[in-house]
Amino acid sequence: MNRLLIDVGSTYFKVSTPECIEQHFRDFNKDILDDLKYKCQKTIECYKKNDVYICSSANGGLSTLIIGLTNSFSLKYAKNIAFNSGINIIESVMYQNLLDYSIPSDLIDVVIIVGGINSNRDIFKDDLYEYLEKLNYSNIVFVGCENEAQKLEKNIQNLVILPNIIDEKLHIIEENLKVYLTNLYQQDIEGKEDIKNLYEITANQIYSTPYIVNKTLPFIHTKFGVVDPFILIDIGGATTDIHYSKDLVDDNIVTENEYDRLVFKKLGVYKSKESLIFAAQSNEFVYELLAHLKVTENIFSDESQKGTKVLMQLAIFLVLTKMSYYKQSYINLKLLSINSIVFTGGITKVLSANEIEDIISFFYKKILNSQHNPMTVLDGNYDIWTIGAGGEENVN
Amino acid sequence: MSLLQEEREIILSNEYVDNFDFAEVEEFVRGASKELFISHHFKTKKKMLVQPRGGFPTYKKQYALNEFFVNANVDVLPLTIDSNTRLNDYATAKKMLRLSEENDVDMLNGYPLVNHGYRTTRKMITHFNKPVSLRHGTPDARLLIETAIASGIFEIEGGPITYLLPYSKNFPLDKAFLYWKYVERVCANYSRLNEPINRESFGPLTATLVPPAITIVIQLLEMLLSLEEGVKSFSVSFSQTGSMNQDIVMGAVIRKLSAFYAKEIGCEDANIHLVYHQWMGAFPTNKSFAEQLINMSTVIASMVGADKIITKTREEASGIPTKEANAATVANTQYTLGILNGLPRIVDEEEEEILILEVHAIMEAVFNDPADTLWRKVFNSIKNGIIDVPFSPHIINHNEMITIRDAKKNIRIIKRGNVPIPKRCYEYEKAQCNLNKDTTSIVNDIIHDIGIMQ
Repeated sequence: MNRLLIDVGSTYFKVSTPECIEQHFRDFNKDILDDLKYKCQKTIECYKKNDVYICSSANGGLSTLIIGLTNSFSLKYAKNIAFNSGINIIESVMYQNLLDYSIPSDLIDVVIIVGGINSNRDIFKDDLYEYLEKLNYSNIVFVGCENEAQKLEKNIQNLVILPNIIDEKLHIIEENLKVYLTNLYQQDIEGKEDIKNLYEITANQIYSTPYIVNKTLPFIHTKFGVVDPFILIDIGGATTDIHYSKDLVDDNIVTENEYDRLVFKKLGVYKSKESLIFAAQSNEFVYELLAHLKVTENIFSDESQKGTKVLMQLAIFLVLTKMSYYKQSYINLKLLSINSIVFTGGITKVLSANEIEDIISFFYKKILNSQHNPMTVLDGNYDIWTIGAGGEENVN
Repeated sequence: MSLLQEEREIILSNEYVDNFDFAEVEEFVRGASKELFISHHFKTKKKMLVQPRGGFPTYKKQYALNEFFVNANVDVLPLTIDSNTRLNDYATAKKMLRLSEENDVDMLNGYPLVNHGYRTTRKMITHFNKPVSLRHGTPDARLLIETAIASGIFEIEGGPITYLLPYSKNFPLDKAFLYWKYVERVCANYSRLNEPINRESFGPLTATLVPPAITIVIQLLEMLLSLEEGVKSFSVSFSQTGSMNQDIVMGAVIRKLSAFYAKEIGCEDANIHLVYHQWMGAFPTNKSFAEQLINMSTVIASMVGADKIITKTREEASGIPTKEANAATVANTQYTLGILNGLPRIVDEEEEEILILEVHAIMEAVFNDPADTLWRKVFNSIKNGIIDVPFSPHIINHNEMITIRDAKKNIRIIKRGNVPIPKRCYEYEKAQCNLNKDTTSIVNDIIHDIGIMQ
């Protein structure tokens, strides 16, 4: 099918036609559309607006704070829906311990309040309203127990009420919140001048890149020799995204997707380089890793290609560590069961398969004390993005 | 290299597998003794095959168990796999195996086949030269099944539904279907080299008030999923329901419909067998009663005309049975089978008709799902509650269907949920029960029905 696919990242943009894929480093002094036209004018001119599909992760996504009742249900379900809608979670707060949390100073794009099954009542009290008064947020949505909705609506201005995401059998109902969050994301994109201008060249909706990638994964076998279970790591300029097969977690939840997503917001090699280095310096194994790579700490201030390579390698090590049982986090993946690790994003242009495999075996040996050696697959040609980016109908 | 072969090489490059030699394994299967193939025994034996359950962590103890079984005149040896291996946790299984070996205490509840490896296990299997049935419960059994076949185990129990809905709470069902597709393909490929590898579905499911229609539908679907990948020998199974009449009806219907549906997909050349499980629910703690129950199961298996019976022991209520108790059951079952002659053939036409209508209706709803592959149709049907297994812990299962026993102890559906039980059948099922009681009494009846044999 003759389509033009464009992915706007925080550092690069990629332009794919049936013949080839071009990748361009962004010029941050220019508006995205101007930059795009300057570099690919001829290609863009060949396509009608209907045949141009754009996805973007350039605006970094929306930030979310979730207030819930339990880690195993309300918070877990809301986090899962948020991650899979392309949203970044800055904080999740247990309602019972509300006073123990400090108030985030940044503006929060959306606050999600969740908790209780529909037969409950009298869950939320005045302390919630007091906490919210101190918060600086743009949108607020309630997706908890329906008996609480009226009371909360009276007390919280501009509260959006959606059906409970937990049903009476404690299953997750994701659709309503997912649609709400993706629409917010969409509005956010439209509100940002840079991205908004891209509607000059496309008549199709601009989706978030991770949302597209997650939808693509069930079809990955059409392009790659990937053996389930696998994880896909997308190391970009601003964030690192992990898409994982659900049999890698013990306490799974039933959703429409076969794959779930995790995002490490400030773990990128360009825009979030400083926080990547900070995370690396706080990891007790990193100095061994640097020694293994035969470099010193000075590499952190090295601006050369070699410096970027080492940062990429550090990013791989750090995300694997964050998902392992070594660090307790939102999700701990069963990394010893993985048969394949797929890498996509800028990393495939910088590191060779050998350099990646070296880090993976270092990780398994040091952190998991294992000789396990999952197969590494590099998506060097951005095939994963192109399978999904050609419109929703391609992946449904 | 085919995609399947590429996948196999990755699966078998696991650090717990000691250099898997594909060519050598193929050669072994090609030349293996026919005695190791249960499919061969099904063809040639004139009696019901008797198979116990059992698995010990160490090679030494498993070997001793097999010796006991052989002395008790067993027809099919079991190899029950430990729970860590079932969950693909080979590292823990390895550690526990070493502890079991060093301390002579069983630190695992079965035989960790992957850790023992196929070269070691094959020595034991070929030594006894009897068919071995692999009993596990593994959603992702790819590595286990490769190791089993390489060891000389040519009957593989399980399936994506029957090994998931009763055993697992969270494992994703869609993944289980894909992993079992791999297993079916591997079994089908090896089946071309010698006698067919037999696949057996696990009919008891939760063993708790599962109505016959649900059991049969799931048996048929797992059979079809297996046959469509090229498997040529398949066993459908079910366990004692608690009603002799319902068991006999179920046996007749499952036989008829398995042949019917196999033909529907052009696989009538496959051999389909019937396996009967002795009572799988809660056992009486009184060991004499347990023996009576086991003996009764054997009689019913004869009336059902099963090709194989899987036994239980008098120690069932108190823990993992000893090898002595296990061997005693085998010997007793063989004795009972030997003296059961000329049993009358019982047919309950009305019950058969109702059950057949129910099964066809559910199967039709599954086939009508718009998905493009059978596994996805089945997956969607479970997700939508068209197939609903009572008391399954799995998060995807609807648990909307409610069953109870009628006065004759038949399992009846009193709430169908989304399961498309035809109106006439539904009315018939409910009419057999006394539903004029208050809810609490009905709930108490259900609790009593679960523990009916205790």
